Amino acid sequence: MTDSEQSQPEPPASFEDAFTRLESVVRRLESGQMSLDQSTALFEEGMQLAKICTELLNGAELKIQRLQQGLAEQLNLVSDE
Amino acid sequence: MYSSVEPPATPTDKPGPSSVSEVSQLIQGLLKSDPQLANVSIIGEVSGHSQPASGHSYFSLRDREASLRCVMFRYGRGHQYLEDGALVVCEGSAGIYAPRGDLQIIVTSAEPAGVGDQQAQLEELKRKLRAEGLFDSSRKRTIPQFPQRIAVITSEQGAVWHDIANVVRRRYPLMELLLVPSAVQGELAPVSIIEAFADLHAYAETEAVDAVIVARGGGSVEDLMPYNDEMVARTIFASRIPVISAVGHETDFTIADDVADLRAPTPSAAAELVSPDITGLTFETADFAQRLMRGLSGRVTLARQRLELTHDRLAENAPDTQRFRDRVDELKARAQESWSRYITIKREGMKRVEAELRALGPHNILERGYAMVRGTDGRVISSATNIKPKENLELTFADGTVEAEAKAVSTNN
Repeated sequence: MTDSEQSQPEPPASFEDAFTRLESVVRRLESGQMSLDQSTALFEEGMQLAKICTELLNGAELKIQRLQQGLAEQLNLVSDE
Repeated sequence: MYSSVEPPATPTDKPGPSSVSEVSQLIQGLLKSDPQLANVSIIGEVSGHSQPASGHSYFSLRDREASLRCVMFRYGRGHQYLEDGALVVCEGSAGIYAPRGDLQIIVTSAEPAGVGDQQAQLEELKRKLRAEGLFDSSRKRTIPQFPQRIAVITSEQGAVWHDIANVVRRRYPLMELLLVPSAVQGELAPVSIIEAFADLHAYAETEAVDAVIVARGGGSVEDLMPYNDEMVARTIFASRIPVISAVGHETDFTIADDVADLRAPTPSAAAELVSPDITGLTFETADFAQRLMRGLSGRVTLARQRLELTHDRLAENAPDTQRFRDRVDELKARAQESWSRYITIKREGMKRVEAELRALGPHNILERGYAMVRGTDGRVISSATNIKPKENLELTFADGTVEAEAKAVSTNN
């Protein structure tokens, strides 16, 4: 009952972060151990996380990068052939 | 009995002449009883090969000094290797072809010479690397469930890279794919793969890479040889980034598979292994939102019940005097008022997030064939217990709505 988060939680850093936090918020809310105020705060945080997850899932576009060859040589990580 | 009383024949007695068949059978018996000749492996060059309609192969095996007649019957293994001039290893047994008195080798299997050597070298390398612990399952790392960047070491040309990118784009476009080009066949391929690993590790000095897929499409045994290279195996072993091998088809196995943290049967399968399915994640997120709604409304109901209970107790315990009765009425009114104020605030908060929930859009879900049920007051009904028989309902599909009436209600509990 004492671990309610009054302060605004940090914005999630990644989908994984948002998704796992959402999961734990749902679990805590469903445990029924919270006061009404805590429940409301958890609910709002959870809805915010669900929104972030949905936006990330809907808006995702695969990024593709091609590594330049000889990077290791430039950085002297391997000797010359 | 009778013979026991006869004097034994003297060794000097000359036996009568043997028939040709008897001598032929005698030699046959000698050949068959010799353990070396009964199961012999011969390396030699094929010459005079012919394979008539019977399907049997007739040929000679020869080297500089000698030649042996051979036959391989139709059901023998490796007819395709028996070409004039080919160097082959044949297994079989020696015998006499009685009608002609020819010595011949009955070959049961043939394979190109050198393949056996290569296979033996490969087995020896495997044995060595296993003994050194390169294949130990205890050192296999797991691949993160939600990776953010996956590298792929493969050819820039060809279908493999495109297959991998397509699978990841469809399943989990939240991550980044990093192509590290390498040769995938030929003598220079091992060096190229090792350099790609070095480049990748240089990049990973500053950027996070969750795993690397070493991929190549199907090909001949010869084509896949770079992935059996000892230095490639040691490079995979030394990789600080978890390695998934995806070389050839499902039935192809290479040393890279043994050393890698995870073996994927094909390049596309490797792409599936690293990418969680976006459809499932969308459903799970929507489900979490539903559970949040249910969790909060359950909590509000509980609070209301407690308040009503307090009301009742207050009324029961009030002394029967006007002063106290007035006080009770006043307390009741104040409690009622503060409760409804509290509820109004909470309701507004809930309305706001409910609007957000709607904005999350069940449309994606509806597109997949689900329908949403609403009561006459427009609220979403997610439980049969909230529906009364004969109640009017509105069903929302992705492409329209349907007015409906509940015929009967039965619940699971």
